[in-house]
Amino acid sequence: MPIVSVWMIRMSLLYLASGISVGALLLISKSLHIVSFAWNLLPIHIEFLIFGWIIQFTLGTAYWILPRYLKTKGRGKSFPAILMVVFLNMGILFVVVSELKWDYSFLGLIGRFFQLMAVALFIKLHWTRVVSYARS
Amino acid sequence: MPLITRLFLKAGLVYLSCSLITGIILELEFISIPIFHVLFWHMLMLGWITQIIMGVSLWMFPGRSRIESFSNQKWSWIAFVLLNLGILLRIIAEPFIQLSTHMIWKILLTISAVFQLIGIGAYLIEIWPRVKGKKQRSKKRKKESI
Repeated sequence: MPIVSVWMIRMSLLYLASGISVGALLLISKSLHIVSFAWNLLPIHIEFLIFGWIIQFTLGTAYWILPRYLKTKGRGKSFPAILMVVFLNMGILFVVVSELKWDYSFLGLIGRFFQLMAVALFIKLHWTRVVSYARS
Repeated sequence: MPLITRLFLKAGLVYLSCSLITGIILELEFISIPIFHVLFWHMLMLGWITQIIMGVSLWMFPGRSRIESFSNQKWSWIAFVLLNLGILLRIIAEPFIQLSTHMIWKILLTISAVFQLIGIGAYLIEIWPRVKGKKQRSKKRKKESI
């Protein structure tokens, strides 16, 4: 497993742990009404589990498992791949901070922009890796 | 494909069907129950997608023991049983939270939250050590051979 995939999958597992903990807190708060601030954490629960867990895990696994470049036998340049990981996680953190602090709502926009850049880098790295060996 | 993976995938498919049935009910305004909206999303995201990811990763990630036994796969089994019990308890108890003041529904919902949390924790214990680069894995192999 390449190191970029290791980082992405481990980050996604950390997001899964955090997101599910927040979810459990929300559910307990719904049933027992003991944690009044819990509902403020709902957007974080959603962001962590959709972008942090599902999307990051999928991208990380695809980077590892999709066919490598046919000529060079590699996964392309490592710098854009590292930048993809950094952008995606910065995006998630920026969005989370904007959800926690209403005064910082502009951070949400920056966060989504970072996420878009990460996905653009992912597409750039993987577009030509989505091939059929039979046609080569 | 190991048995535990098959169970994760089949449970995931059942939840996908259930979430889509719930989605149809939500569209029928005359029988729509608001809490179904929450159940729809959780059956889809946790019951379906998360379980599919868990099942496939337990099968495909390196470091899986070829011998299928409970002792080799105990964390995966704990994850499967507790996660699914947790989701089922939620499906049963959550609609009644708003309809009834009886304590049993609140207790069941709390147990559901704890089960889901422990289930995911068990999956993390199983999968975390298997997320490794080639260098880390060869170092581990060398240590084991010494």
